[in-house]
Amino acid sequence: MFGPLGLSLAPYVNTSKTLSRWVAPVATWYANAAGYRKYGFKYDDLLVEENPEVQRALTRLTPAESYDRAYRLKRASQASVLHTPLPKDQWTKPEEDVRYLAPHVENVVKEEEERKAWDNLVVVRK
Amino acid sequence: MLRTSTTRNVRRIARSFATVVDTAGVKVAAIDQNQPTSSVTLFVKAGSRFEPKEGVANALKNFAFKSTTERSAIGTVRESELYGGQLSSTLGREHLALTAEFLRGDAAYFVDVLTSFVTSANFTRHEFEEYVTPLISSDSAAVASNPAVRAVDAAHYLAFRSGLGSSLFAPEHNSITVNDVKSFAATAFNKSNIAVVGTGIDQATLSDLVQKAFAKAKAASAATSPASKYFGGETRLTGHGGPQTAFIGFGTTGSSSAELATLAAHLSPTPSVKWSKGISPLSAIPEGTSVTPIHLTYSDATLFGLLVQGPTVEGVKAAGTTAVSALKAAAQSIKAEDLTSAKAKAKFAAASAVDTREGLVAALGSKIFGENVSTLEATLSSLDSVDAAAFSKAASALISAKPTYVTIGEAHLPFADELGL
Repeated sequence: MFGPLGLSLAPYVNTSKTLSRWVAPVATWYANAAGYRKYGFKYDDLLVEENPEVQRALTRLTPAESYDRAYRLKRASQASVLHTPLPKDQWTKPEEDVRYLAPHVENVVKEEEERKAWDNLVVVRK
Repeated sequence: MLRTSTTRNVRRIARSFATVVDTAGVKVAAIDQNQPTSSVTLFVKAGSRFEPKEGVANALKNFAFKSTTERSAIGTVRESELYGGQLSSTLGREHLALTAEFLRGDAAYFVDVLTSFVTSANFTRHEFEEYVTPLISSDSAAVASNPAVRAVDAAHYLAFRSGLGSSLFAPEHNSITVNDVKSFAATAFNKSNIAVVGTGIDQATLSDLVQKAFAKAKAASAATSPASKYFGGETRLTGHGGPQTAFIGFGTTGSSSAELATLAAHLSPTPSVKWSKGISPLSAIPEGTSVTPIHLTYSDATLFGLLVQGPTVEGVKAAGTTAVSALKAAAQSIKAEDLTSAKAKAKFAAASAVDTREGLVAALGSKIFGENVSTLEATLSSLDSVDAAAFSKAASALISAKPTYVTIGEAHLPFADELGL
């Protein structure tokens, strides 16, 4: 329910100009305050990956995307070992912080739901 | 008495051959013989002949019935199961055939499945990697252990080099990407490249459905490929299991000829009576070996050959020598009664081929892109008009070209000159 894959009001907020003008600064402040950008992460790197849907979605990344993801994870682990954030020039810029994984996860979930629907289909004779 | 009734039956089949109708720029032909089931086949000029990169045509074939904007891959499979239909895609050197077989009355759904792949397939990268790549590799693996298919494939490569020479299968280690498939599909899937053949469905219904499906499809120029040229040559491949195999082939360019069909029938050692050896010139081959005449006709070329298979190298050598001398003897002259029986055999083969749905669809499909749909009657009368002189002339013209010779198996399999080629 919560977290990167949970319910989100973002699509609704994005549709309204006034609302997004009010909410966007707060959201930017929140994303920066969360601190993951200081460790070079993208928001989708925080997705809990220990479930079949996300594992399947990870196989759908392009080779370049999965390489970059592994690099970010290693770099952040090293920073964690050193107990210090990365140098400021390596922080994730807001425009780089894109949802590269979530669309794949959504597709996998949709496919699983469709499979379940077909598995439990009741055929009615017309 | 017998002859008149045969002729009458043949006439009836010939009459029920379809006429080709142009529907929204797509050629449609349908034959309804009141079968309990129907089939619709979409022929696309996207055979291996037209592929821009090795194996892309095979990849496109294996991509069939994956997700489209209208339904997902699993939706296609499950819904077709509910209707009890069967979907299949087959690749030839000239055409990709997408076939649906179903109960009468379900045509609307199945025509939509077929046409939506052509008009709105998604070609997603993950489907290519998760579903299509394993199919491409399993196709290649299956052919690697089937020397007969591999020999004919290699023979095409030697005989025609490019164009018809392109393999139907992808190389074992290939670099095909989903974008290759997508761009090949984008050029191949246009209305002038597509023909629809239906059996067990009436022309009007099929035309209606096709018109609806292709209303918004784009039209572009039909795919073209350089005219085929025959080269020939020899190659020796190592086998991965299976019998020792040799293929002795010859190619010609131009349209198919009745003389070569008669030659194939003359050489065919398949007996007409069970448990007999038959009276073909190839009946004297050693026990356990087999010789199969291969007669493949394409729009502008023909590959004719004898596929010799046996458990031992010695057997293949003896059978191959017999096969070559039979071919040479046929080029010299043929006895009148042999010619009569060969013609009868060839006519029966041609007529019984259109008895089956696959044969009928294949016969129509190969002709439909060339404006004239050849009737069975025309085929039979051209076989009838073969005479001994024309037969020997065609055979000697065939074997005067450089042979295409392929062996698959042990290194000691005979070389072409050892068989008398």
